Amino acid sequence: MARYAMVTDLRKCVACQACTVACSAEWSVPAGHARTHVRTTPLAGTFPQLTSSPHVGQCNQCDHPPCVEPCPSGATYQDAGGIVRVDTDVCIGCGFCVDACPYEARFINPRTKKVDKCDFCRPRIERGEVPACVATCTAHAKYFGDLEDRNSEVSRLVFEGGARRMETRTVAVGPNVFYLGRPEHLDLVLSSYPPRPPRLLTAGAAWTRLLKPLVLAMVGMTFAGQAVAFFTQLHKGEGDFEE
Amino acid sequence: MKNDITRRRFLGTAATLGAGAVAAPAVASPRVHPPGWSGTARVDKIATTCEMCFWRCGVLASVEGGKVVRVEGNPDHPQNQGRLCARGNAGTGLLHDPDRLKTPLLRVGERGEGRFKPVSWDEALDFLAGRLVKLRDEHGPESVAFFPHGNGARFFATLMRAYGTPNSAEPSFAQCRGPREVGYSLTFGQGLGSPEPVDLEEARLVVLIGSHLGENVFTSQITAFATGLARGAKLIAVDPRFSLAASKADWWLPIRPGTDIALLLAWMNVLIAEDLCDKEYLKTYASGFDRLASHVREFTPEWAEAITEIPAAKIRETAQAMGKAKPAVAVHPGRHVTWYGDDTQRARAMAILTALLGSWGRKGGIFLPTPIPRGSFDLPDFPEPKRERADGAGKRFPLAIEELGVTNGLIDATLSGDPYPIKAWIVYGQNMLESIPQPARTVEAIGKLDLMVVVDVLPVEQIKYADLVLPEATYLERYDPPTIVESAKRPFIAVRSPACEPLYESKPGWWIAKELAKRLKLEAFFPWDTPEQHLEKILKPTGFGARELVSRGAVAFPGKPYLEDRAPVDRTFDTASGKIELYSEALAKIGADPLPRYTPPVEPPKGFLRLIYGRAPVHSFARSQNNEALDALMSENEVWLATSVARDWGVTEGQRIVLENVEGVKSSPVRVKVTEGIRSDCAYLVHGFGQQSRALRRAFGRGASDNSLMSRVSVDPLTGGTGMRVNFVRAARA
Repeated sequence: MARYAMVTDLRKCVACQACTVACSAEWSVPAGHARTHVRTTPLAGTFPQLTSSPHVGQCNQCDHPPCVEPCPSGATYQDAGGIVRVDTDVCIGCGFCVDACPYEARFINPRTKKVDKCDFCRPRIERGEVPACVATCTAHAKYFGDLEDRNSEVSRLVFEGGARRMETRTVAVGPNVFYLGRPEHLDLVLSSYPPRPPRLLTAGAAWTRLLKPLVLAMVGMTFAGQAVAFFTQLHKGEGDFEE
Repeated sequence: MKNDITRRRFLGTAATLGAGAVAAPAVASPRVHPPGWSGTARVDKIATTCEMCFWRCGVLASVEGGKVVRVEGNPDHPQNQGRLCARGNAGTGLLHDPDRLKTPLLRVGERGEGRFKPVSWDEALDFLAGRLVKLRDEHGPESVAFFPHGNGARFFATLMRAYGTPNSAEPSFAQCRGPREVGYSLTFGQGLGSPEPVDLEEARLVVLIGSHLGENVFTSQITAFATGLARGAKLIAVDPRFSLAASKADWWLPIRPGTDIALLLAWMNVLIAEDLCDKEYLKTYASGFDRLASHVREFTPEWAEAITEIPAAKIRETAQAMGKAKPAVAVHPGRHVTWYGDDTQRARAMAILTALLGSWGRKGGIFLPTPIPRGSFDLPDFPEPKRERADGAGKRFPLAIEELGVTNGLIDATLSGDPYPIKAWIVYGQNMLESIPQPARTVEAIGKLDLMVVVDVLPVEQIKYADLVLPEATYLERYDPPTIVESAKRPFIAVRSPACEPLYESKPGWWIAKELAKRLKLEAFFPWDTPEQHLEKILKPTGFGARELVSRGAVAFPGKPYLEDRAPVDRTFDTASGKIELYSEALAKIGADPLPRYTPPVEPPKGFLRLIYGRAPVHSFARSQNNEALDALMSENEVWLATSVARDWGVTEGQRIVLENVEGVKSSPVRVKVTEGIRSDCAYLVHGFGQQSRALRRAFGRGASDNSLMSRVSVDPLTGGTGMRVNFVRAARA
């Protein structure tokens, strides 16, 4: 079993967005959307005492992914490597998982009408390659590997190098994307882009419980409507019917 | 292992090699996907050279059914080692840009109307050859001026020399690196070239003066920069703006624009006064130290504080940091350096600082190029032009490098007819209205011409002034002469070879030049039939064959980047004295300052801000704004205004304003970015936006063009470089 993880070194990252474009090119992501996005935090401080930091966001492949439960069709799941994936054959494009994600890492792909997100380039991993963003990173700021393998570079960076998760006290779902950086920069990133409390984390469960009765009710109403129409027609007589 | 990346089209071994590769697939190389991996078609990966900018990274183009579907970094390339920037990754966007020039176009309306009719290549080339013959007969070949840019233009440059004109000039000199090359050559006997050999990865201290690495992205330079920082290098960022680099810096020095020489002189003052120079190095390699020492004695940090607005204590502290880290101090020489018209002197000051720290030719400083052998053709003698160059290189601009020329000198000559009338321009691979300041003058000069020809991939703004437009194939569709990079730790030869057939009626530059040569009876200057014959000849002394280079994309050679790699007898400098010239006799001889001196920049009039400009990581000059993927990431620029300025001007974040310069020229509307991250005496724009060609449907009218606001230049008397940071703007009244 593997536990795939990524480490982004924000001391090295220059926010060049090579990762974003490589990812979009690799997975034909329509322009205007992205599986990985680069931002630079707003400036903190006043001239000339200023601080800011780049930040690279993507699906964090969380240990406890809040996007799985709200999915009404079961399309979103966690695979054996800990990667959160979407079965696009099953996805109905409802977007509940988009709302549930604390890291704004999911979107509805306008071409497929299905949800789209980073999966650490699963097909590339299976070919023995690293994800496209890691391969192209001009600053060598991204590291990818298996946390179960204690000799991997990501293990070293996570367990010994002080790489940090972007978690808060209220939102701690075990993200597997870690960050290295000056402490003041990491704090600034976290305060600028805090993980969002999943809106449907609890409501989502209620929704799945509600789903079945609701669907049944809708089906029942459809039948009832048809029955009413049928009897009305009967009552009016055949002649009217033929007109 | 690498050879099975087949180059069928290029080497003309279609059936056999191609079939072989299919029969023995993928297993041999991890870079060729197994058949059926991405759907049904087999994917080939063609190794070639990127041209989304001019850094020349190695790329692999994935080709599926004859169509390039993906461009990524070539892991085996010595320069970028598989890494590639946003623009490089967006390469297919240029290839498949629906707005591309598709056929040759001949003007039908008035010049400037932009009305053309499509014509065949035969018709276009016959027309051009006919006009060139007529111009040569009536006005002499010198009446034709050539404005090249990029590798594809090199065969055309040969053609222009063979035709007999000395008048060729590229913006990479007088609008970009020229004064730097000259300033460093005066000091060390050689310039820097491109890529700049700055040893960022080994540096213990990096000094950036206006260079905004990170926003200005060249892949391998960013790799080296980030690696150096991760290894603990300290960083000094001198910039009036809080750049990305400034956000990583240990010292951000928000200097008053135009006062860099004062800062450099004060740093030298501290290094010498506090005995922090590399004395042994200077004793061995340099001359003129005593004269320099007495020259900078008066330029104390306190003197510089009053000029630069950087506290004297900071100047002292940063100089001491340099003294401590020497010789592993990478003083980045910059790239676009034509700022204030005293740019050769600023480059000299940076070169002298580098020398004082013992950094030239040393690990962590500036490393040295290693020559690579190359073959050449026995060409007939080029005709000797009967008249001198019209751009003033070597005369009016005594230190301009003639091989590169002075673009603005040619524009001056076209306008004035002095020293003789220029009747035709051939512009290759650049939009002069964005690449050269004072665009109104450029348009006026075009009005004086009998013939204006543009060779380009995209319908850039200047084509509306052209009589003839020739559609060039993109870098993914063409062969270009091999690129030989000596200024690398492992010098290399790389090639650009086609990954697919040219789309539409576009043609590669070599073909256009050769076809035109036939019509001008200058074929003898092109003694090869196919690009591979050309390549084979150039490669001959290297021991590599064309096929190997084409399959691998690049081949590297061992380098000797540091002085210590060379025998003491080879540690010489190509100056008159054979030493590093801190004091320049060459400058003294032509009546220029032999030691750099601070000259105050022209100040903005009341109510105006100095317009400064720079780069964004997802765009290259004005060349990439029409690219779908890049446009999606940055579709317009913003004008950066300090919080206090925005308050004074009564403008708010996100508001669109029109900028107006002192001459009353107005920009297209541009969004305001209100920030603490810029001094209150300047405004900042990313270059390349505000394009005025309607045929570029994405780029048209997005943001503001900095170049359109450059009504003034301050010309460097030594090189002809056009200082551009002498324009001032305010918000135009609605």
